[in-house]
Amino acid sequence: MGFDLYDLVNKYPSSQMMAIPLAIFAIALLVIGGNYMITGVPVNLGIDFAGGTAVTVLTDDSTDEIEAYFAAYPLISIGEGLNRGNYIRFGPMDDEQFRSLSRDIGARYPDAKVDQIGESFGQTLQQQALIALLFSFIGMSFVVFIAFRSVIPSVAVVFAGLADILVTAAIMNIIGLPLSLGTTAALLMLIGYSVDSDILLTTRVLKRQGKLEEKLKNAFRTGFIMTTTTLSAVTALLVVSWIGQIEIIMQIATVLLIGLLVDLIITWMFNAGLLKWYVQSGRAKGVLPR
Amino acid sequence: MVCSERAGKGGVATMKKDDMKRVMQDWRVVVMVVAIVLALASIYLIPPAFDKGLQGNVQLGLDLEGGSWIQLEYQAELVTFETRENPELLVEGLTRELDAEVHLVEPDVVEIRKPFTRDELEPVFASLGATITQYEIGVSEETANTVKRILEEKINRLGTRDAKVNILTTFGGASRYIRVELAGVDMVTAQEIVGQQGRFDIRIQTVGEETEHVLYGDSITSVGLPTQQPPGSNQWGVSFTISPEGAQAFRESAIRTGATDNPAAHELMMLLDGEMVYSAPLSPDLAARLKVEDVRNLFASTGAGEFGQNRANILEIHLRAGALPVDVQIAGSGSVSAALGEHFKMMSIIAGFVALLTVGLVVYYRYREPTIVIPMLAINTAEIIILLGIARYFTQLDLAAIAGLIAVLGTSIDQLVVITDEVLHEGKVPSPNVYLKRLSRALGIIIVAAITMIIAMLPLALMDLSSLRGFAIITILGVLIGVVITRPAYGKIIMAILSR
Repeated sequence: MGFDLYDLVNKYPSSQMMAIPLAIFAIALLVIGGNYMITGVPVNLGIDFAGGTAVTVLTDDSTDEIEAYFAAYPLISIGEGLNRGNYIRFGPMDDEQFRSLSRDIGARYPDAKVDQIGESFGQTLQQQALIALLFSFIGMSFVVFIAFRSVIPSVAVVFAGLADILVTAAIMNIIGLPLSLGTTAALLMLIGYSVDSDILLTTRVLKRQGKLEEKLKNAFRTGFIMTTTTLSAVTALLVVSWIGQIEIIMQIATVLLIGLLVDLIITWMFNAGLLKWYVQSGRAKGVLPR
Repeated sequence: MVCSERAGKGGVATMKKDDMKRVMQDWRVVVMVVAIVLALASIYLIPPAFDKGLQGNVQLGLDLEGGSWIQLEYQAELVTFETRENPELLVEGLTRELDAEVHLVEPDVVEIRKPFTRDELEPVFASLGATITQYEIGVSEETANTVKRILEEKINRLGTRDAKVNILTTFGGASRYIRVELAGVDMVTAQEIVGQQGRFDIRIQTVGEETEHVLYGDSITSVGLPTQQPPGSNQWGVSFTISPEGAQAFRESAIRTGATDNPAAHELMMLLDGEMVYSAPLSPDLAARLKVEDVRNLFASTGAGEFGQNRANILEIHLRAGALPVDVQIAGSGSVSAALGEHFKMMSIIAGFVALLTVGLVVYYRYREPTIVIPMLAINTAEIIILLGIARYFTQLDLAAIAGLIAVLGTSIDQLVVITDEVLHEGKVPSPNVYLKRLSRALGIIIVAAITMIIAMLPLALMDLSSLRGFAIITILGVLIGVVITRPAYGKIIMAILSR
């Protein structure tokens, strides 16, 4: 076996390594910007933020039958899962219409799960989610700067976090996964995961003695295993929640899955490339092991 | 070359007995074992919960247990103002101009119990010589508490067993929403409970135990807050106003039954849904006034001190007959049937097991060494037990929280891999000294990562973003437990295993 997966980080010059993630980041910005131009929002909002009603039912009824039954209401979509599960979404309604919908649901699908968010409540949630995201990001940046106390590695870690979130959001736009409370939480969680692997890489490269190639290779090995184990847990979660039609867990798992894959690219191409350049250019002299 | 490093061969069985003993006596391991025991105790023993099955004392969210929630938004606003005039006059002016109930909740804040936008209010304030400095949708804390009491009272009266009413407060201090959770109740019933009002009846004693109807709750036009009368006397009561027709009917009844001449023999009684909630004679002063004129403003005194105040609080709710002092609108709601909750519960347990198993397989593929994989999985399980044991005091477990739990499991494995790789550097197990140095370096990486995760989740844990609070709390607790309790213990255990 001549091929060594973990040596990949040493195969290419840093500029080439960094070019791909930067290109992906640029495309992501275009997708988000394009979405903003077309729909007025950078990412598509789910019912939690835009208002509306979501109904999960376990039924043998076909999509057409469900559609016919709810013809009087602003139906948006019907998603089918395994195990007779159906996820039905409605647009905003007034109190009166919603009461009548509740009765109709209760009459035909007594075992349904219903979630309804009014438009103004959705807006409040939107503002709060935005504040949460901002605070998380600022807090994360602080921790990173305090931990490394040097500009370039810290900026790289913070940028990686930002890129993870934006690229993931862009992919969500493309596959049509809306931003909901669940996906917001998952995006916040990505900040944590992203920093996890970056800190490992940066600490290993800057604070350990030894040859750069060795350090990079070892860090990549550990990081790769780390992320793949988490990926496997998340994949398991996704599969079970898809079978069981647990919408919120499915959303969280999907975003984490995309985000972790994005993180692999950003961390081990962009950050690793940047650190390699940083060390090779001799700028890392000041940052010796503590 | 996926697995170039291999730890020592052989199973746990060959481990020497005194090795085992030494590990078990290490403080890191002792702390973890104690934590597991305490966690199990708080799930199943404090208080005993053998009849509750696997979940023990862990509180489950509505989406696992079945039930409904309704979140209400107040049609009211809190306005902070500046004025040179007397604020009391401003309140009077506002009440008149806006035709709304207006209360001064702080010297410079009024609560307007009718929906207006800031743009609508600005000219009105200006005409009264005041300027608006801050505008927020919602009500004061006090009003929010009254609404909460009314809702709780109403729910209790209807005999719903498991209900929670939570006030949600925004950054500015205004309370904009109130959330009602009713376990085991379907959506249609929940909407009825929250919307329904009781039947309030005021009667007057005629002869002996006999009573006569005077007026119904719909004659009560407004109800004040519990107050002391005269102010500062510590004599509590609730003032309320009745309609002109009500006042007329009241006066006629009082004169006809003779209550105006002999108040003590003709008590005034208030009944809510047929149940007596207040009974007292007319005061001599009121009796005398009723002889000559209709009286619209009444005051029901409830006694002195704390006792009187409590009674006044309850009476206020009764007088309102379950009607809220502020109009509300449904902002959001949801329900899960018991059967679907059961299905989600089952699926969550399966998800947890499948995730643990998958992680186990992946780690095994990487290290090919049961003596590493088994402790990893054991530590992971321990972590979840400790987490649930602590979490039961802080939050309920709903679907989002379960996603958090499984994500924590992923992070946890991540970090155990960091530790293992850090100490296994070059595929050899180093001397204890070097080992501890490496362990602390690995823990260093983990601590920074953990702090970031906690900081990232903190806003969600502090904010009331409905379902995500549990998720954030679980994640934060999980990360903390990992750093403080289980990772150090793992470091010690894995060292003992590897250095055989």
